[in-house]
Order: sequence, then structure tokens, then C-alpha cells
Amino acid sequence: MVEQRTTRALRLISDNMIWFILLLSLTVFSLAVQGFFNVRNFRNIIHHSVFIGLLAIAQSHCLISGNIDLSIESVAGMGAILSAWLCGASVFASGLQVNPFAGLLIVTVIGAAVGFTNGFFVLKFKIHPFLVTFSTYIIIRGLAVFLTGGRGVSQLPDSFRLVDTTKFLTLPLMVYILLIFYIFFYFVLEKTRFGRHTFVIGGNINAAYNFGINVDRHLFRIFALSGAISGFTGWLMTARAGGATPAMAMGFLFETLAAVIIGGVSITGGFGSLAGVLAGVLLLSSMRSALNILAISPFITEVIRGLLVLAAIVLDSVKRTVGRK
Amino acid sequence: MDSMSKRKVILKIEKISKSFGSVVALSNVGFEVYENEIIGLVGDNGAGKSTLLKILSGNFPPDKGEIYFEGRKVNFKSPVEARQMGIETVYQDLSLCENLDAISNLFIGREAYKNFLGFKVLQKREMERETIEVVNKIGINIPSVKERIEFLSGGERQAISLSRFVAWGKKLALLDEPTAALGVEQTRKALDLITKIRKQRNIGIIVVSHNLQQIFETVDRIIVLRHGEVVGIREKQLTDPDEIVSLITGAIFINDNK
Repeated sequence: MVEQRTTRALRLISDNMIWFILLLSLTVFSLAVQGFFNVRNFRNIIHHSVFIGLLAIAQSHCLISGNIDLSIESVAGMGAILSAWLCGASVFASGLQVNPFAGLLIVTVIGAAVGFTNGFFVLKFKIHPFLVTFSTYIIIRGLAVFLTGGRGVSQLPDSFRLVDTTKFLTLPLMVYILLIFYIFFYFVLEKTRFGRHTFVIGGNINAAYNFGINVDRHLFRIFALSGAISGFTGWLMTARAGGATPAMAMGFLFETLAAVIIGGVSITGGFGSLAGVLAGVLLLSSMRSALNILAISPFITEVIRGLLVLAAIVLDSVKRTVGRK
Repeated sequence: MDSMSKRKVILKIEKISKSFGSVVALSNVGFEVYENEIIGLVGDNGAGKSTLLKILSGNFPPDKGEIYFEGRKVNFKSPVEARQMGIETVYQDLSLCENLDAISNLFIGREAYKNFLGFKVLQKREMERETIEVVNKIGINIPSVKERIEFLSGGERQAISLSRFVAWGKKLALLDEPTAALGVEQTRKALDLITKIRKQRNIGIIVVSHNLQQIFETVDRIIVLRHGEVVGIREKQLTDPDEIVSLITGAIFINDNK
């Protein structure tokens, strides 16, 4: 009995470990790094977390269902340059000057279509999602560069930037969008049948099939959701930057994967919670901020981030073996 | 037998054949299952038992032959269709999600939910209550229905797999090695449970097992498969383990499958 209670307590701690680590890190940074502990810096940290945070929601769904989507950063990059190209007025824009919100709709739908295509090859041709989305990762980035001949687009209408310039309590609207997304998708994953099926498929796809879950349809939705969120994230990036280049969101894939894994999502499927993922995103973001303030070489930042990912993976596998019979 | 002719045939299969490439898994298999009857399906490894169960549970179709369920001809395209008609299967691999708890596993594909603004919101409390009820019926203790399967022992896992049959078995249950991971005491409880549920619900049950002692304790009739063919159908009272072993190994060959 006692042993059982200890195991359970240990598991409770290890399941929420990431939040303890985040709090600890914030405390250490606040004490040790001058200029870290102030409202403006915290505001920056959360503002910086928006894009990786959204992409992390997409990737978490893919990983929990036992899949992976490498194309998220290219789709975000495509979403960024495409929406700028559609809505902007500078030389390399389309000249269409599309309404920014129509642009949002377009890039989100195109993102979903890319996701759907990923799903098609994964599910109908039975190709490993790593290979399929690796291909689309290259293709979509290529298309993004091709669209404007590799050049950037600026001169966006003011209305495009509203999502960043509108502020409540000094925080830009997009921060609230991030929080709403997290609350919404936390609810979906933990409380709805759709979320439950995501975990079932990631845990045992044969059981899912045997007990009548429409596995293909569900995974099509997951991939499409991932693409749609990624496309939307690209649009937000353009809104933030006031323009776009075809290189936007480069490197976001690894940053997202790092955040998601640190946040406790298992890369082999079936495990993870968006609460942990959000903590993982914030942890990486605050670490970057602290190292920035300290003016530490960005290359060392990479090393630290890599070590964090490794630690998260080790922790995950230790956690899996605690109390297992 | 007289009593049998009065009973309703729940499942009838005729001339079922199935090949995988050049390997013949089943050939011309036919028999009937009555309501309130437990059939023991026995045979050596590779005799075709699992293939037959998978056809009956809708995992794949036969190449040839007919399946009649409650008198109607059926062609299951998926396990869902079979399940919706009341055929519940307990798979040999248990089909459990190790990442989820007993409640979630019992309700895979059948989650209780309420519509809320277009969302199918899980009714977790209802599912928990029902799971506890079912687990109590089985009489095999598990630490908690909220414990993830990965933290449970082999016997506890099998109990949860069996709990699906207890919760959902309506007309016909297919149990593939239902006690393989259970200890002596647990096996006794599980077999009692199977017998009890058969009586309570008047359902037909096909049990696949390698354990002849268990078969003789539990079933009414025994069907022996050998190399994909039915080589014997015996009333339990009119046979003995020696004859069944002979049939399984091919020491005697009496084809009474018409």
C-alpha cells in the first residue's frame, strides 16, 4: 500500500516535472540574471512563444497519434510568404492586395490541404510519416522560395498587423490567441472522444481498428489540423513582422520538436499533455531570453537546448519504467 | 440431442475457405453454434483457429463460403459490423492500449459521451462507474481502474480484456485463449464467469484454448481443426481427452463434416 502510494506520488511528480523545472528555471534566472525579472521581459518571453507554441500544438497531436509532421515549419514559412504575397503592396507581391483576413483563410486552407496530402501518402500508400512529411518539408519550402523568386514582400495593410498591434493589458492579441488555442486543444485532447481516439490510435492502432475507430479518417484530420495550424502560424508571423521572406520559420521544426519532447510528449506515440507542452515551450523561450541577456554565444544556447532534449528523453524513459510490472 | 434441436442456431457457417497465397488456412469449414452453448475450438498451431475467429469477427472475409448469423447471411466488412450485430471478440493479443487506463480500454470505440456545442464530451464518471461494476463481476482484483495498463500484470491485463466480453457480449462471443495469462485461481474465476454469463444471457460462445482440461470443464461441444479442416465435432459427454488429442494430432482421421 505504502509502496503503491509512493509510486503514485512519484508518478504525479514526474508527470508534472516540467512545470517544476520551469518554475525552478525562472527562479534561478530571476536571481542570477540581472534584467531577467521584469514585466517587460516576461511579456517578451510569452510573445516569443506564440509561434513555436502554436506549432507545438500541431506536432503534439501528430506525435500522440503515433505520427510525426516534419513539414510544419515549411508550411508556416509558406503561410508567411504566401499571405504577404497575396496581401502586400511591394514590388514582389502579387498585386492582388487581398484582404488580410481572406489571406488568413487561404493560407489556413492551403496548410490543411498540405496536411491532407501528407495523410494521403501515409494512409493510402502506407509510407512512414517521417518520409512523407520530410518530402513535403522540402517541396513546400521550395514552393515558398519559388513564389517570390526568393525575395521578401513588405508594405502590408495596417489591418494585417492588428493581431499584433491590438493590445489588452499590454499583451498583443496574438498572445491571447495562443492561450485560447491551448485551452481549446487541451479540452479537445483530454475531454472529448476525438482526443481519446488520438491516444488510442497512438497507443495501439490495431486495437483502435478492432474496436471500430475509423483510424484513417481520424489521422487524416490530425494531419490536416497540423497543416492548418502551421499555415495559420505563418500568417501570424507575417502579421508580427509586417512583411515576410521565404526563409521565415526556418529551424522552427527542431525548436518545436525540442519543446514538445521536453514538454513530455512521447515520440513513439500515446503519451503527452498540452499542459506539459506549453511549459516546454515557455522553458525554451525563457532560457533563450536569459542567455540573450547574458550575451552568451548562440552556439552554446544550441548545446544547452540539445542537452535539455536529451535530459527530457532520458527522464521519459525512466518514468516509463517506474512501477512497471 | 433433443434439447439441442429445440434451441436456436445463432451462427451457422458453411464451406468456409481461406488461403494466404499458396497456404491454405481453412478449407470447407462448416458448423453451427446454438444459443446458450459453449463451443471449444481446438487444434494444433497453424490449424486455422485464429484465422477462423478473425473471419467471424470481421477482421477479414473468407475466400469462399457463407456465414449465417441468426439465420441471415452476413458479409462483415469490418470488426465494427460484426460487433454491431452482437459478436464480441476477446483477442489473443488482448488489444489493449498500454498508455491508457482500464476505463478507457473497456470503452475503446464505444466511449460514452454527451454532445456539448457540437463536441462529443466524454462522460468519464459514467464510464468509471460501469467499469468498476464490470471488474467486480469478474472478481479479479486490479489495483485501480484508473491505473494505466502498462503498470498492470499479465493476469490483470487479461482480466480487463475479458471485461469487454462481460460488458458487451450480447449474442455471440469469440474468446481467443482467454485464460492464457491467468494463474490457477484466476483461471477458475474466469471460466466460472464465462459459464455464468452464458446462462444469464443465453449467448453462444466459442472458446479457443490449448488446455484440454479447461475445455472439458467448460464447454458443451468440441470442434477439432486440423490443417484447416474440421476433423471432428464431438459432444463433450460422448468423447474423452484421448480421442480429442488423437483428432488434433491426426492419429485418427474421421471426417464427419458434411
